[in-house]
Amino acid sequence: MHGVSDEMSDLLNIEINGVALQVKPGTMVIEAADDAGITIPRFCYHKKLSVAANCRMCLVEVEKAPKPLPACATPVTDGMKVLTKSPLALEAQKSVMEFLLINHPLDCPICDQGGECELQDVAMGYGQDMSRYHEKKRVVKDKFLGSLISTDMTRCIHCTRCVRFGQEVAGIMEMGAPGRGEHTEISTYMERAIGSEMSGNVIDLCPVGALTSKPYRYHGRPWENTTHDSIAPHDCVGSNVHVETRRNQVMRVLPKENEAINELWLSDRDRFSYMGLTSGDRLLQPMVKQDGEWKTTDWQNALNYAVEGLQRVKTASGAETIGALASPSSTTEELYLLQKVIRGMGSNNIDHRLQQLDFANQDTMPAYPCMNQSIADLDNINAALLVGSFTRKDQPIIAHRLRKANKSGAKVSVINSVDYDFNLDLSQSVITRPDDIASQLAGVVKALAEVTGKSIPDVLASSISSVTVTDEHKAIAADLNDAENATVLMGIHAMSNPNFSAISSLANAAAELSGATLGYLSAGANSAGAWLAGAVPHRAPGQQATDGKNAMQMITDDMKAFVLLNMEPEYDCANPNEALSAMSSADFVVCMTPFATSTMRKYADVMLPVAPFTETSGTYVNVEGQWQSFTGSVPPMGDVRPGWKVLRVIGNFLKLDGFDYLASEDVRDELDGLTRELETNSRSEITAVNLDSSKPELTRIGHVSLYAVDSLVRRSEPLQQTDDALAAMIAVNNVTAKKLGLDSGQMAVVMQSNTRVKLPIYIEDAIPDDCAFIPAGVTGSVELGLSYGPVEVAGG
Amino acid sequence: MMFAQRDKDQAKLDLISAESKADIDNWVAKYPADKKESAVMAALRIVQDQNAGFLTNELIDAIAEYLDMPAIAVYEVATFYSMYERDPVGKHKLCICTNISCMLCGSDEVVSHLEKKLGIKLGETTADGKFTLKEVECLGACVNAPMLQLGREYHEKLTPEKLDKLIDSLD
Amino acid sequence: MMQGLKQFFKSLFMLELMKGLSITGKHLFARKFTLYYPEEKAPISPRFRGLHALRRYPNGEERCIACKLCEAVCPALAITIESEQRDDGTRRTTRYDIDLTKCIFCGFCEESCPVDSIVETGIYEYHGEEHGDLYMTKEKLLEIGDKYEKDIAAARAADASYR
Repeated sequence: MHGVSDEMSDLLNIEINGVALQVKPGTMVIEAADDAGITIPRFCYHKKLSVAANCRMCLVEVEKAPKPLPACATPVTDGMKVLTKSPLALEAQKSVMEFLLINHPLDCPICDQGGECELQDVAMGYGQDMSRYHEKKRVVKDKFLGSLISTDMTRCIHCTRCVRFGQEVAGIMEMGAPGRGEHTEISTYMERAIGSEMSGNVIDLCPVGALTSKPYRYHGRPWENTTHDSIAPHDCVGSNVHVETRRNQVMRVLPKENEAINELWLSDRDRFSYMGLTSGDRLLQPMVKQDGEWKTTDWQNALNYAVEGLQRVKTASGAETIGALASPSSTTEELYLLQKVIRGMGSNNIDHRLQQLDFANQDTMPAYPCMNQSIADLDNINAALLVGSFTRKDQPIIAHRLRKANKSGAKVSVINSVDYDFNLDLSQSVITRPDDIASQLAGVVKALAEVTGKSIPDVLASSISSVTVTDEHKAIAADLNDAENATVLMGIHAMSNPNFSAISSLANAAAELSGATLGYLSAGANSAGAWLAGAVPHRAPGQQATDGKNAMQMITDDMKAFVLLNMEPEYDCANPNEALSAMSSADFVVCMTPFATSTMRKYADVMLPVAPFTETSGTYVNVEGQWQSFTGSVPPMGDVRPGWKVLRVIGNFLKLDGFDYLASEDVRDELDGLTRELETNSRSEITAVNLDSSKPELTRIGHVSLYAVDSLVRRSEPLQQTDDALAAMIAVNNVTAKKLGLDSGQMAVVMQSNTRVKLPIYIEDAIPDDCAFIPAGVTGSVELGLSYGPVEVAGG
Repeated sequence: MMFAQRDKDQAKLDLISAESKADIDNWVAKYPADKKESAVMAALRIVQDQNAGFLTNELIDAIAEYLDMPAIAVYEVATFYSMYERDPVGKHKLCICTNISCMLCGSDEVVSHLEKKLGIKLGETTADGKFTLKEVECLGACVNAPMLQLGREYHEKLTPEKLDKLIDSLD
Repeated sequence: MMQGLKQFFKSLFMLELMKGLSITGKHLFARKFTLYYPEEKAPISPRFRGLHALRRYPNGEERCIACKLCEAVCPALAITIESEQRDDGTRRTTRYDIDLTKCIFCGFCEESCPVDSIVETGIYEYHGEEHGDLYMTKEKLLEIGDKYEKDIAAARAADASYR
């Protein structure tokens, strides 16, 4: 609703088509009609975008008005009588329709929008069966917008929804409407590809077939697809999606409207990752390695082989040499059963925190990392401090909420190790090397103590006494302190920071001092679920303390056997080099994976094909702590089986108790029973921090690129062709480049963990001094070591 | 790219001359500090004058950089108004109104006379780069139709003789 | 009373039998019109709905644009289409199957086709010997179209004024 203020909360009486309605002042006629279920045809009006009133399709008759008025741009007034179907209104609507169809090509049979086209639908109701226009139609050259959106610009009716989406929602104006009158063409500047991480939404917004999905182009028709509700599997938001299938194949993924989570938007990653499902890497049958040869086999054999192998290791070297690593985007059921199997065998070595380096605070961590507020609450915050987060690309939906708050005045600041391009006005931006983030946060804590007059908790006071408070710290502190609703959010890069425990402790202190809500924006779709399910070495489900090895220890501590779930160590682990050598030196490796790679064939002994999210039922717990269950959209391909079923049978084969589930819901309900009593709280104890660790001369910043976060995304070809899919490279700033003798455009030799790789050099001022930005999780950098740690670089 | 670009691209800004920048700044000063983009039309005109009467994509980019606007927004303005040229024009741009009032008062004759005299069609430039003929919509001088605009001057109540005199007076 | 009397005389003189025999006798000497199929064939309407075919344009380009209307309209669900973008950017089918054992020859596919690609020809003499012989693929349908294009075009032309 537009411009509704408290003192004007009196409702106005209006009448639409004779139906008496009471609406808030400032409401547009079309909104009132929509709420009352009265349909007014429209093209340019969209409830989530500003009013443009340029298509004129929604003309209605208003009593006492001399001519028809556009319902989308006419605010209601008391006593207003609107007629949407009067002869005058219909005449106006039909005339507008005729004008719109003058230049529309009517090539519906070859148009991908056919069957779900707003113009087609409205033309059925308001169009004539014959055109009176016999002159030449206008033809517009198609534009190139990148690998995700395909264009047929002749079909465009210039509603400018896509342009407004860019300005208002995506936050970067990439599309525009150059030209005038008949020469207007929707385009990007010089046909640059669209760079927004939410760009796919313009496909849904476009009321005609001008902007359509490139991967889906000409592949199907809406009427032949079956829609299944599901949950997006790539970020902690848990966006609701519709998976559309045809003949047991996933055809496309569309957003499902959920006002509380993703509204009606969807990030490109969630929308186009399905293209990875049919990758050539898909493992369709269980395989075992016998005498160094891979053989396809049946499930009975494969599971026997896996169970025997694990038991052999257990007998030979003890259960504590068995470890399990799982992707944080696995379902809660899979994670719960995996830990149940591992713990049932007598080991506590299970972890999903594959990118984490600092585990010192794990015992004081809350029950699971969450935001401690709902996603919709972010709309109303007044100040936010993001620590180690590139929210815009990591969790686009969260960033959109923050942007909404920012537009209505919220002050958003960041402490990051790369000066990322946010799509909002940052109040303060503190860019520092990764091992200094904690110190910068300490500065904010000190500044907060000053402005609030409260004292810094004793455990912290001495360890941060030497930190200098800058003006930026003071400004951030003032923003947080002044705000009625403030939040401090730790992002993926904070959680994978080598000083995570210090950052977490300081963020807690900052939240404590300012009264801000503390939250985590965790990695993967289901970090929260993984914590709850006990896929952490130190806590069994229900918070029972256990003692096991974390992800980092497992790959450095000479384990004898591994069970890997939905992950590829060389891409997903914080130290790919060590991870791979740990896998190769282990005696027995079981890979439960949807995809098999040549690397996997080298180290694995059994490969069990488990289902990706579209082929299994499961539950993701999002960052609000909401459990969102979904069912499989298509039957598993080939001999693939849902992960939870595979783990259940492994449990049976191991003769463990409590593996008699009939459905994944049984698994979920069992876990729900164990965790129901847990408090949803993201706060944890404030502990002493050590900010004086030695700092390497040159440190690597190994952020995982947005399209490299899990095995499915990495195989989505269209996403990999976008600019956001980083190739392996090294970016340094001018100062560092000079120091190291590096030149832009040339190759550098990067040395880490005794491996050398050659990477192209980029000079970027967004990188702090003495840091080398080398993205993790991409081919070309997977031979390297720690994502944050010393690195040596020499000019090629 | 995903990295923030804090510094302005100097290479782009250098395309705008110092005088033009000073002139644009005068216009920027007329608007509130956070509404810098209001000066975009003035900026386009100033830069067009600086560049022999037409704009290039590079110049549009430079203006976008100078006024902190998305390039596409500047491009929209530059393509919307017919007074902005995006292709080279002759030294003298003759903008002839062919809208209804002028047409009724004989703008067709004006056009054909000029076309014959200069040997070019509407929208073309003479080989020596001296004259460009351009058809424009109403310039608000209907009272003295037919008319044309040359530079910043209106020439009204045109007759072939008047046109000859005008063309001959131009070097 | 009157009715009964009438009936009595009718049956007494076997009038009905005579009437029937007179028709038999008439036809015994009349000209015969039995068709000696397959030597002789009945003429068929240009709207006859026989074997399906996919047509091409005179330049050899297939007409079908994979709009899938025929698939959607088919009441017997006999048509299966898969499509994608061909290298030249046009919308084309990669699979166009008609299961003739499911087909009820209603002609809706032909009627729904915006480019006159799928047509039902006048061919009604065909058979399958093995399971699957009556499962028409795109290649088979195009082949039929190529072979009988002349007849198909003539039939469309004859019917054009009534469409």
